[in-house]
Amino acid sequence: MDLNTILLWFGILACVYMACNIGANDVANAMGTSVGAKSLTFRQAVFIAAIAEFAGAVFVGGHVSDTVRKGMVDPNLFADTPMHLVYGMISALIAASIWLHIASFLGWPVSTTHSIVGAVVGFGFIAGGADAVNWSKVGSVVMSWIVSPLMGGLVAYGVFRFITVHIFDKRNPVAQSKKLVPYMVFVVFVILAISMVYKGLKNLKLNLDFQNALLISLTVGTIAFVIAKILVHKIKEVAPEDLNQQFISTEYIFKFLQVITAFYVAFAHGANDVANAVGPLAAVASILKTGSVEMKVEMPLWILTMGGTCIVVGLLIWGMRVMETVGQKITEITPSRGFSAEFAAATVVLACSKMGLPISTTHTLVGSVIGVGMARGLASLNIGIIKKIVISWFATVPFTAVLAMLFYKAFLLVLS
Amino acid sequence: MRSIFSMFAKSPFKPLASHMDKVRACVEQIKPLFAAQLAGDYDQVQSVSEKIMQLEYEADKIKNDIRDHLPQSMFLAVDKRDFTQLLSAQDDIADSTEDLAVILRIRHLANPPELKEPLNELVDHVVMSANSACDLIHELENLLEASFGGVEAEKVEKACHQLATYEWEADKKQFVLAQKLFSLDESLSAADLLLWNEVSKKLGAVADKSEQIGKTLRIFLAK
Repeated sequence: MDLNTILLWFGILACVYMACNIGANDVANAMGTSVGAKSLTFRQAVFIAAIAEFAGAVFVGGHVSDTVRKGMVDPNLFADTPMHLVYGMISALIAASIWLHIASFLGWPVSTTHSIVGAVVGFGFIAGGADAVNWSKVGSVVMSWIVSPLMGGLVAYGVFRFITVHIFDKRNPVAQSKKLVPYMVFVVFVILAISMVYKGLKNLKLNLDFQNALLISLTVGTIAFVIAKILVHKIKEVAPEDLNQQFISTEYIFKFLQVITAFYVAFAHGANDVANAVGPLAAVASILKTGSVEMKVEMPLWILTMGGTCIVVGLLIWGMRVMETVGQKITEITPSRGFSAEFAAATVVLACSKMGLPISTTHTLVGSVIGVGMARGLASLNIGIIKKIVISWFATVPFTAVLAMLFYKAFLLVLS
Repeated sequence: MRSIFSMFAKSPFKPLASHMDKVRACVEQIKPLFAAQLAGDYDQVQSVSEKIMQLEYEADKIKNDIRDHLPQSMFLAVDKRDFTQLLSAQDDIADSTEDLAVILRIRHLANPPELKEPLNELVDHVVMSANSACDLIHELENLLEASFGGVEAEKVEKACHQLATYEWEADKKQFVLAQKLFSLDESLSAADLLLWNEVSKKLGAVADKSEQIGKTLRIFLAK
C-alpha cells in the first residue's frame, strides 16, 4: 500500500468515527425530544433521521462544509505543498475525534462542530501562521455559537407563547388547534421546501432562481396544508367543559406536528453537522486524487453516503441507549412543548446552515428548550447544563486546536 | 454519553401531588377519630390516632424527598419559594392532624353532649376544606399544561375563592364551638377545657393551611 492510500484510510477512519459520534450523540439529542414526548417510537425516529440527515446533507450541507474546508483557513496557501493540507485536515479530524471521545467519558455536552472548527483553526495557525487563519470568519463562527442558542430560546419562547395564547388559553383548545395546526404545517413545509430547492439542487444540476423556488415551496406548503386539514378533520370534537380531555386531544394533534418537526430537526442537523465529518475528508480525497488544491470541490457521493450511513449506524448502536432512557424517563415534555423547541432549534440551525455558519444543533436545542421553560411551558428544568455547555465552549476549541497542531507536526516529522 | 436529557429534571409537581394524597389520607381519619372520641371509645381513638401518625410519617418521607431533589440549578415553572411554601402548607395540614391525634390521647377527655353538634359541624367543614385543597393540587397538572392561563386558570381561581370562603366559615364555626366550650367552664375540668380548646385551634389550623394552598396557587396564576 502506498502512502496516499494509507493517508486516505486514516482520513476515512477518522471521518467514520466522527460520523458515528454525531449519530450517537447529536442525532440522539435532536430526535430525543420527539421520542421523549412519545410522538415517535425509537424505530420511527431512526427511520426519519436516516432520510432527513441525508436530505439535509445533500441539499443544504454544501455551505457549511465549504466553511469548514476553506472558509477559516485559506487552502491557496497550500498550493505548493498540497500534502500539508492533507496532513492538516487528517490531523483536525483525529484531534476532534479524540476530544469527542474524552467528552463522552466526561458526559460534557460538547459539540462536534466546535471540535472540528477548533482543530482546523489550530492546524491552520501552526501551518501558515496567524495570517493563514481568516479571523473575521472565525469570529463570526464563534459569535454564531453564542447567538444560536439565544435565538433558539427566543424563537421557542415566541412559538410556545403563540400556542399558549391561541390554543391553550381558548375555550375550546381542540377546535382551535384544528384550525391553526394546518397553518403551522404550511410554514414548516414551506421552509423545508425552500431550503431544499433554492440553491440546494446544484447536485442535480437544477439551479432555480428565488421566484421559482418560492413558487414551488408555496405549492408544496399548500398541498401539505390541505392534507393536514383533512387529517385534523378526523379528530373528534371534545366538549369544552371537559378540560382534561381537551388537553389530551390537543397534545394528540401536536404529536403529528412533532413527527414533522422531528424530520425538520434531523434535516437541519444534516445540513449543518454532517459537513463536520465529511468536509475535511472531501478536501483530503480531492487532493490525493488530483495532486493539487482545488477551490471548488464536488462532494463525492461515496463520502456523503458513508457519512450518512455511519451517522445511522452510530445512532443505532449507541444512540439507542440514550433514546431508550429518554423514552422511559422523560414524561415531562409533551408534544406541544417538544414541537415549539424543535421548530425553533431547526429553524435557527437551518438559517445558520444557509449562511454557512457551523453551529451546534445540540446547544441550539438546549437554548430552545430553556426558551419553552421561560414561557412556563415545562414543570421543571435542570439548568445546570448551561454551566456545562459554557465550560465545554472554553475547553473544546483550545484543546482540539492544540491537539491538531501536535498531530500536524508529528505528520510533518514522520512523513517529510 | 453527551446527552442533554439530564436537563429534563424529574418534575417535583407529581411528588407534590402524592404528598398531598398522603395528607388527604391523614385528614380522612379526622372524622373517625372524633366519632370514636364522641362515642367514648378510647381504644378506637388510640387505633385511629396510630393510623394518623403512621400516615403523617409517610407524608414526611415524601416531603423530605421532594426537598432533597430541589437543587439550586433547578428551574421551575413557578417561583421555587412559592413551591416550598405550598409544600410547607401541605405539611402543616398533616402536622395539625397529627396534633389532634396526640391531644385526644393525652387523657380520656370528657364528652359534654353540648359540644357534639358544633364540633361535628366544624370537623365536617375542616375536612371539606382540606379535601378541596387536595383537589386543587391535582389541578396543578392541567394548570401546567395550560401554562397557567386560560379556562383552566379561571377554574382554579374560582376554586381558590371557594377555599377562602370555607376558611371564613370554618372560623365562624370555630367561634361557635369556643363559645359553647367556655360556657361549660363550671362543669368541665380545667384540663378538659384546655385540651378541647387546643382541639378547636388545631381544627382551625387545618382549614387555615388549606386556604394557604389556595393563596399560593393564586400567586402562581398572577405571575
